[in-house]
Amino acid sequence: MINRLRERGAGNFLKCIQCGSCTSACIVNVVEEEFNPRKIIGSIVRFNKFPDQDPWLCSACLLCVERCPQGVNPFSIIVSLRTIRYENGNALPNKVIELIEQVKKTGLAFSLSKEVEEKRKLLGLPGFGLSEEGLSEVRRILLEAGV
Amino acid sequence: MSITLYLGCVIKALYPEVEKAIKEVLERMGVNFEEPKDASCCAPLGFFSLNRDAWLRLNERNMRLFQDTVVTACDDCFASLNDAFKIVSENKGIKAPEVKPFGKFMLENLENRGLRFSFKGLRCTVQHSCHFLRPARGMDDAENPRVVKSVLEKLGYLPVSYDGELDCCGGLAFEERVREMLARRKAEALEKSGADCVVSTCSHCMRQLRAVSRLPILHLAQLSALSMGANPEEIGVPDMLLRRMVKP
Repeated sequence: MINRLRERGAGNFLKCIQCGSCTSACIVNVVEEEFNPRKIIGSIVRFNKFPDQDPWLCSACLLCVERCPQGVNPFSIIVSLRTIRYENGNALPNKVIELIEQVKKTGLAFSLSKEVEEKRKLLGLPGFGLSEEGLSEVRRILLEAGV
Repeated sequence: MSITLYLGCVIKALYPEVEKAIKEVLERMGVNFEEPKDASCCAPLGFFSLNRDAWLRLNERNMRLFQDTVVTACDDCFASLNDAFKIVSENKGIKAPEVKPFGKFMLENLENRGLRFSFKGLRCTVQHSCHFLRPARGMDDAENPRVVKSVLEKLGYLPVSYDGELDCCGGLAFEERVREMLARRKAEALEKSGADCVVSTCSHCMRQLRAVSRLPILHLAQLSALSMGANPEEIGVPDMLLRRMVKP
């Protein structure tokens, strides 16, 4: 498990002293008590067990990274856990799927509504979107990277 | 000065008034800018969480389209481009462009002589962008951020502090319940501050807060352009704020 996490970018978690600075900094823990970064890391370093908690609850504010006195980077562990869950066949949140599909389709994460298109014209803003050639380069990269 | 302007997908697709404001500001400051048409999404957390290789390769491609200095309109794009460029640059020995978030760029380049109006007394709270401040890159004080406030002061606005200033708005939370609770919490804190408007440099914060807050949520570029004499209607500044306008 430790190697699997490391290979997916989890940094330095064996230095965790379970002090709770991460949970103390965690805004999600304030509104959703079940999400507890200290316990997530504890599950890995103390019990050799993948944590049950959903890593997608994290709002990615990175305050845990800033406050950790051991330089553990709890967020990198959350990210590795998201990746592993995905590899294990767990579904991604809909919002993530939407973003990825949009980038595959257009190279950008959001599309233009008719209303905004009109407003852009009115303000004299340039055209929106990549060229055919640019878009096919982006699609090739995504395909090769296995997205 | 010549730069690459990277607006990011959200501002390009949803907030044309912010794009207009940024371009007004750059033009009025005499900055030459180009926008590479073929630049793609910077592939922030959604991708990054799953596929580091895609994140790095998309941004290596972006990097090759950019000039030596890139100014980003959204702090989340700043973080993604900046961090990916550093890694690509180290791995491949290519020189990375310098990525400047809009607030930092303004702080370093704003000269007061460009200002035509002042808004003394217009109280602004700042919604600080998590991904500009953290992980700390030495651009601002991560625990007591000053960059955006200093730009507002230079422009003649009155930044006000509030409890919960560093709290995340949940704009990049993917779980709906967490998203909503963090947004509501942040909106309450902002309203309690007694400010006339909220200033942000992150398009995800803007999107999140515009959905829940009664206060006008503006990009720093909109207030910058306003002070420089841009047409308030074109840059999307609501009438209620214009009443505070005075000659400097």
